[in-house]
Amino acid sequence: MKNLLDFFLKYNYWFLFILLEVISFVLLFRFNNYQAGAFFTSSNQVAGAIYEMASNVTGYFHLKTINDDLVQKNVQLELQIENLRNALLGYTADSTEIEKLKEDALNGYSLYKAKVIKNSLTHADNYITIDKGEKDGIRTDMGVVSGSGIVGIVYLTSSNYSVVIPVLNSKSSISCKIQKSDYFGFLKWDGGSSEYAIVKDMPRHSLFSLGDTVVTSGHSTVFPAGIPIGTVEDITDSHDGLSYLLKVKLFTDFGRLNAVRVISQKGQDERLELEQRLKTNKK
Amino acid sequence: MIKNLHRIEWFVGLVLLQVLILNQMHVNGYATPFFYIYFILKFNSKISRNSLMLWAFALGLTVDIFSNTPGMNAAACVCLAFLRTPLLRLVTLRDVDDAFRPGIKTLGVAVFFRYTLLTCGLFCSILLLIDTFSFFNLPVLFFKVLTSTLATILCVFCAELIGRRNSEKRF
Repeated sequence: MKNLLDFFLKYNYWFLFILLEVISFVLLFRFNNYQAGAFFTSSNQVAGAIYEMASNVTGYFHLKTINDDLVQKNVQLELQIENLRNALLGYTADSTEIEKLKEDALNGYSLYKAKVIKNSLTHADNYITIDKGEKDGIRTDMGVVSGSGIVGIVYLTSSNYSVVIPVLNSKSSISCKIQKSDYFGFLKWDGGSSEYAIVKDMPRHSLFSLGDTVVTSGHSTVFPAGIPIGTVEDITDSHDGLSYLLKVKLFTDFGRLNAVRVISQKGQDERLELEQRLKTNKK
Repeated sequence: MIKNLHRIEWFVGLVLLQVLILNQMHVNGYATPFFYIYFILKFNSKISRNSLMLWAFALGLTVDIFSNTPGMNAAACVCLAFLRTPLLRLVTLRDVDDAFRPGIKTLGVAVFFRYTLLTCGLFCSILLLIDTFSFFNLPVLFFKVLTSTLATILCVFCAELIGRRNSEKRF
């Protein structure tokens, strides 16, 4: 007995080592569960506040390029609107029709402004923290977009901050389609460059070509249909040979993401609650 | 007491430096320096393994909380703290009994370089191995470990050279 006690005392650091490693790995794998606490992430109060301060400073560094992009985009959009208006006027003599179309586009969705305060690109699982939380109406599973395209889906929320799973995360899976032909697949990320993602499960008989635009499909409550994702860069066969694998160049530049919008579908809560009720009834 | 206060100062400083600046630094996804382990490297050689591991765990977890990777840095830090004593004994030929604070001054450049190489290499291997669980790609992983280790060593030596000038600041 004494020997045993001596043994434990002598090698006590082994037990502490194993204990601490076990705690670390429990935290690591628990985080993969959906309901993981927001405390151990950068959406907790202290970390969020520090990142917010830092991003208030660093946010200015990219303003010039961001401004250039916005001006460019503005000009493009203005030209586009002008063309569309002219085209539309050709079809309908009534100009109030155009106003109605504009309203319809975002009907059923509301947008929340948010700012990225923490971002990473180099991990296998990247996360983005934004400066809006439950207080501002952000809920889990809302979609996040930037001016140029899709960003990701809200994963965890605390009262003032939220963590977003961007496209650049192995857990991310977003339903998408080829804009021209409506064939759909899943947008995944396989690590590597932050400029490219892949589309899986594109059927063999689908029609598309290099340079086609990929947009969200609107099959889920998260994103409305038609939000731009990227353009097809390369086409290969999937490993099982049953579908195509598309390499997509993303429109969103994750390296200098700053202002984003969170999209919430009106009635999303109601729909989720309904689905939740269905699940509990089944049990 | 003063000693602990000093340690906490270093702790906060290194964590902020790591999460606000160094974590954003990379060359095309490679060569991120993990300079915050300098905190673990510089502990006095006489410190007990248990308290070193507890400090390392707290340090790793704090960095984790900021970078949304709960448990990853903590696991790697604890492992580093656990293996620091044997590694230190491996590179130094001196009597284990006298206490010293690892540094260029106490160990000399060559020995300290070997010590940093071993500890940084070990830490980067563990950390990046855990990080790339999902898409395992050996050449990429190897290159990442190599570049990150070099970047970390570079940072540690810079800190050593700066620290030599105002050497009265110790913890």
